[in-house]
Amino acid sequence: MPSCHIVRERAAAPAPLLKLRSRPLRVGLVGQPNVGKSVVFGHLTGRYVTVSNYPGTTVAITRGRAMVGAEVCDVIDTPGVNTLEGAMSEDERITRDAMAGSHTDLIVQVADARNLRRALVLTAQLARLNKPMVLVLNMIDEAFARGIAVDVPALAAELQIPVVEMVAVEGRGFSELRDALALAARPHVPAQPHASARAVWAHELTERVRRISTLSLASVQEALASATRRPLTGIPILLMVLYALYLFVGVFGAQTLVGVMEKDVFGRGINPAAIWLVDRTVPSALARDFLVGEYGVVTMGLTYAIAIVLPVVATFFLIFGFLEDSGYIPRLAIFCDRTFRVMGLNGKAVLPMVLGLGCDTMATMTTRILGTPKERLIAILLLALGVPCSAQLATIMGILGGISVVALATLFGVVLTQMLVVGWLAARVLKGERSPFILELPPIRWPRLGNLLTKTRLRVWWYLGEAVPLFLAGTVLLFVLDRIGALTVLSAAGRPVVTGLLGLPESTAQILVMGFLRRDYGAAGLFHLARSGQLTGVQAVVALTVMTLFVPCIANFFMMVRERGLRTGLAIAGVITPIAIGTGAGLHYVFDLFGVQF
Amino acid sequence: MSLISLACSSDGTRSLASLDEGQRGVVVSVVDDPEDTDRSERLWSLGVTPGASITVLQTFPGVVFLCDQTELVVERSIARAIRVGSVEALS
Repeated sequence: MPSCHIVRERAAAPAPLLKLRSRPLRVGLVGQPNVGKSVVFGHLTGRYVTVSNYPGTTVAITRGRAMVGAEVCDVIDTPGVNTLEGAMSEDERITRDAMAGSHTDLIVQVADARNLRRALVLTAQLARLNKPMVLVLNMIDEAFARGIAVDVPALAAELQIPVVEMVAVEGRGFSELRDALALAARPHVPAQPHASARAVWAHELTERVRRISTLSLASVQEALASATRRPLTGIPILLMVLYALYLFVGVFGAQTLVGVMEKDVFGRGINPAAIWLVDRTVPSALARDFLVGEYGVVTMGLTYAIAIVLPVVATFFLIFGFLEDSGYIPRLAIFCDRTFRVMGLNGKAVLPMVLGLGCDTMATMTTRILGTPKERLIAILLLALGVPCSAQLATIMGILGGISVVALATLFGVVLTQMLVVGWLAARVLKGERSPFILELPPIRWPRLGNLLTKTRLRVWWYLGEAVPLFLAGTVLLFVLDRIGALTVLSAAGRPVVTGLLGLPESTAQILVMGFLRRDYGAAGLFHLARSGQLTGVQAVVALTVMTLFVPCIANFFMMVRERGLRTGLAIAGVITPIAIGTGAGLHYVFDLFGVQF
Repeated sequence: MSLISLACSSDGTRSLASLDEGQRGVVVSVVDDPEDTDRSERLWSLGVTPGASITVLQTFPGVVFLCDQTELVVERSIARAIRVGSVEALS
């Protein structure tokens, strides 16, 4: 049973921290990556923060309020840290600043009970901040299953702070934590200026309070953990995962569900009904066109956002959440390390890259987990250049899956080659270092359905909140451009590039303009065009390649500016746009030369 | 289970990179690198401290090992810098 162990004399003393104050007590949650801080935060505050099974899920500070007894506390959730000293990644620096300043009155260190030694190395660093602390040993059930027993009263006595046992995902140990907050104290750690002395202290204390009996490991999990990281089994497993992803998102999501939504729900239901209603109630022809015309808010904007992109995004988020929670994704880093080194990165960069398949904008933030500024810049550049986000990925699959597998392979082959070349060049041109590849692999776990559904639901809501307004704004823009005749001018101006260089139908010009707003919006436009038979296979491959290589969306551009500054953001966009068009032109030329047909 | 002690360098330690799959040992030290001054601290913060027992799980691609209950993967150059003592081979 989880319980709170507090040094006896201290427990008897009046609670020193419960008093009237001018502002709420600020409680900072801190700990190694992937120990469950966000789960603890969720239980304390009732706010859900995305929870996954890999280090680096949280890369920014989240605040919430919690009631502790009669007192209101401000609780902050922080990115996981391995160290608060020496070489830190950007997310670690964010946490250090949040802990060190006046933002935090009381520190709750969340630790993985299985890895006490590591936790104590961090405790020693936290002790130097000289703030009251509570230590939470989370996942005590997993530790127990592995034959690890921690003598919690002895640990509490040595550190002279409350130590709470917890199984956060099951909600066990929280009342004990609330009690312990009132008894938080400054930890007793011998003042050792040198890091190596603290490492020895952590090791010795661990040896004193921890007993490891038998290593009874869950065999299925162990077998999976091993199979997913060995090349001989790992690569077939990866191919199977990709195939399953394709079946679920590319076929079920992008073809079956989109078909139902586009043809039946919108094509036969919503759009005719909207047109009928508008025709009878709206007197102005302009307003009618605005709502249900060729570039109508309903007939184009909503249809694209809800009928074409939403089913795909939802199916992708679901399967992606499953992969996140299983602990599988970081294992890919082992296979990618060598390839990424060519691009000045290390295997760890697989995390932002794979997350980019969900959303490039979020993944741009996740690059904070990378070791050096150079690595971050290269990763941000490659994300913007080549990683298609879920919505776009699926429209690609939807269009090209219907044409041929060769077409699909050509597109991905070209985009991956382009990323390799650009990464290789960037690694040579940019100043700075690559950090060595050191990565923690989370245990393989069976995802919890509740978390999976909550996460997917929130992500779908987020998509609706973020993408739909942009889709509608894009549609309004197109409508206005069409009305004032600018679309014809634009198409004419773009003709040398669009029809000349790229060999695409003239109508693709406006779709490429939409692609600047959001790649997936552009891709949805192409999808529409391809469905109505206006694109040949070759044209579809060229158009999608150009679109994929564009900067993903306005939001992604702003995120790059926020993370790396306006100059870098503009520079990245300035590099990417000619590459995208140049690659498309090259592809068109080669296809034409060899008479390629899909 | 037969335990074979293998000593390869003058101080009786070996580099993690030289261990085979399934071999166990105890971390003795992390060799500093003037080019990468934070290397030892980075490894300590992951639990690879002197005294930690480790088991090699995989040697290619990347060296995967269990340190306490943490599964870590490092590139070869890092594995070479981790000195391991009292190496046991499980038969």
